[in-house]
Amino acid sequence: MKKWQVAVVMLLAAVGSWFSLNTHAQAKTYTIATDTTFAPFEFQAKGGKYKGIDIDILKAIAKKEHINYKLKAISFGAAVQQLSANQVDGVIAGMNITAERKKTFDFSNAYYTSGVVMAVAKDSKIKKFSQLKGKTVALKTGTAGAAYAKSIQSKYGFKIKYFNDSNNMYNDVKVGNSAACFEDYPVMSYGIKNGIALKIVSKQYAAGDYGFAVKKGKNAALLKKFNAGLKAIKADGTYKKIVNKYLKSSEASLTGETASSRTFVGLFTQNLGTIGSGLWMTLELTVISIILATILGLILGVLGVMPGKIGPAISSTIIYLFRGMPLMVLAFFIYIGFPDLIGHGFKIPAFVAGMITLMLNEGAYTGAFVKGGFQAVDDGQMEAARSLGLPYWTAMRKVIMPQGIRIMIPSFINQFIITLKDTSILSVIGIVELTQTGTLIIARNFEGFKIWLMIAIIYLIIITLLTWLSNWVQRRIN
Amino acid sequence: MAKVVVKDLHKSYGDNEVLKGLNLEVEDNEVVCMIGPSGSGKSTFLRCLNDLEVPTKGQIVISGYDLSDKGTNINLVRENIGMVFQHFNLFPHLSVLQNITLAPVQLGKESKTEAEKTARHLLDTVGLADKADAMPKSLSGGQKQRVAIARALAMKPKIMLFDEPTSALDPEMVGDVLDVMKRLAADGMTMVVVTHEMGFAKEVADRVVFMADGLIQETGKPKDIFENPQSPRLQDFLQKVINV
Repeated sequence: MKKWQVAVVMLLAAVGSWFSLNTHAQAKTYTIATDTTFAPFEFQAKGGKYKGIDIDILKAIAKKEHINYKLKAISFGAAVQQLSANQVDGVIAGMNITAERKKTFDFSNAYYTSGVVMAVAKDSKIKKFSQLKGKTVALKTGTAGAAYAKSIQSKYGFKIKYFNDSNNMYNDVKVGNSAACFEDYPVMSYGIKNGIALKIVSKQYAAGDYGFAVKKGKNAALLKKFNAGLKAIKADGTYKKIVNKYLKSSEASLTGETASSRTFVGLFTQNLGTIGSGLWMTLELTVISIILATILGLILGVLGVMPGKIGPAISSTIIYLFRGMPLMVLAFFIYIGFPDLIGHGFKIPAFVAGMITLMLNEGAYTGAFVKGGFQAVDDGQMEAARSLGLPYWTAMRKVIMPQGIRIMIPSFINQFIITLKDTSILSVIGIVELTQTGTLIIARNFEGFKIWLMIAIIYLIIITLLTWLSNWVQRRIN
Repeated sequence: MAKVVVKDLHKSYGDNEVLKGLNLEVEDNEVVCMIGPSGSGKSTFLRCLNDLEVPTKGQIVISGYDLSDKGTNINLVRENIGMVFQHFNLFPHLSVLQNITLAPVQLGKESKTEAEKTARHLLDTVGLADKADAMPKSLSGGQKQRVAIARALAMKPKIMLFDEPTSALDPEMVGDVLDVMKRLAADGMTMVVVTHEMGFAKEVADRVVFMADGLIQETGKPKDIFENPQSPRLQDFLQKVINV
């Protein structure tokens, strides 16, 4: 076998084994989604493990009722979408039971009651809703705080800015871009106790109940067990112990971090494991996607220069579709839209969805420059090859492709770097890659500057290595 | 039967009719030179002979293969027709030797070792034995064209087509290429040569074909064509060419 054939076989084997592993793991186990940044209900502790009231309640109930489950921490918005698309079996994420949501989901009995408060920067003079007129308010999508603020928006005349996680919302208020944010009381007070430079200036409004949710009409047995378990842990005191543990202690004691570990190097060594696994995921996605996108791109490029009309038409349609679609839309479509369309509980693992997304998007870009590269080869080359009696495909393979690919090398290097960076967008479908790792770490330690600097440096290092490798390959080929 | 038979050949690009009904036969071992003003359709005609251009109408039969027949395997026909282009069209990513051996090896005509042996022999006959491992970009125009001829000959064609083989060359390079072609002609190769080299046509051609306006205006022995032109178009053309 030639080298490229070996590479293709290895790749197929890797993808295949990944699929089979996944189907095994999902047998008889419920997948429960939760938020990533909603302390004290859920947050990532040192070493990447999730902790919080929701997590502990779920664990206690599961133990009582013998429920096998796998926890899946993604953003709140993604968790809710995935539940409605049947990608997960349940969601426990400080989710308010509302009439609106009851149309799509079935809820357990309430396991916590909380109200919404307004918080502002420490030095802010804002005390009342009426002072918000003309100002911007930061909200987290899908939360009770967001719903409440929206309901009073026209009355008080403020503007709204949405965020996907709490920490970015807090920061926006802290640096003064937004005047205030609305958040569930326990969450806000826990955050402030642990170093967020905000203050609560309102009483609790629109008290709501948190419930565990399943998709309407599905997993009734799971819901029943949850309710029974909840009753049991309330009766034996476990529930109270869990809530007190989180509401009455500071974060450090829960996450195991100390103040001395807040230096750049300290943060790095402390979070090495988390960052490392995120980095590994990023590299895995990048390498597999680059290989798949290159294969797709070459196919699209060859189709694009084929004689006749059908090949070029297929090629330009595919390039048009997937180059024109924003990566994030494509990711959501494949991960959430597509299984929704098919129904029957069809699921795509996030990693596979991410891989397909990158393959299609980057492959479309690659196809466009591959086609251009082939077209840049002088027509006389094909004529000379054909005049010797070589069939079209042999001429393509032996004469046109080697020359075209040489022209394309700089574009390939460029595309590889773009692919690496684009993996960060896949955090929206819950893939915990390098960027998402940063979000998670900051969610519990609020060290935005140092962590983002760390993440940026890591990206630059990989891109530098990738560029060196590409340049080396380029020199070898020429 | 003649080696090449062309009947009522037409070729149009949209509304522009370039070939307006050509008839020509080329015999075995015959050397035919095609002359005429630019845009007269000489090159288009030549390119039709190995299907690089598909005729709009008419029939071409080469060595018994009918090109207009859909069942004809064009690759098989082309193996028997060598073509030399004005701009050489060497494969720039391959060495001189690889340029020559590519087709015979890919098409299973010869093993790699045999093909290389043949290639070195051909390079020797075109006077470039020392250039086997050179890359095309390091060669002069005249050398490139001689490699291109060797590349075409490596397929052991029964007929060779030359499309203005010396037009892109510096004047001092032309002689070397023409010498190679003369030797080929002397060895009995059937050749159709589109050329502006009147001296070559006079000396080597068995027959000269004069084309203008997409039609064959006059054909004949070189002596008759150059010394006793009949049509006013040919007289006019020769006047201009000789005065240059």
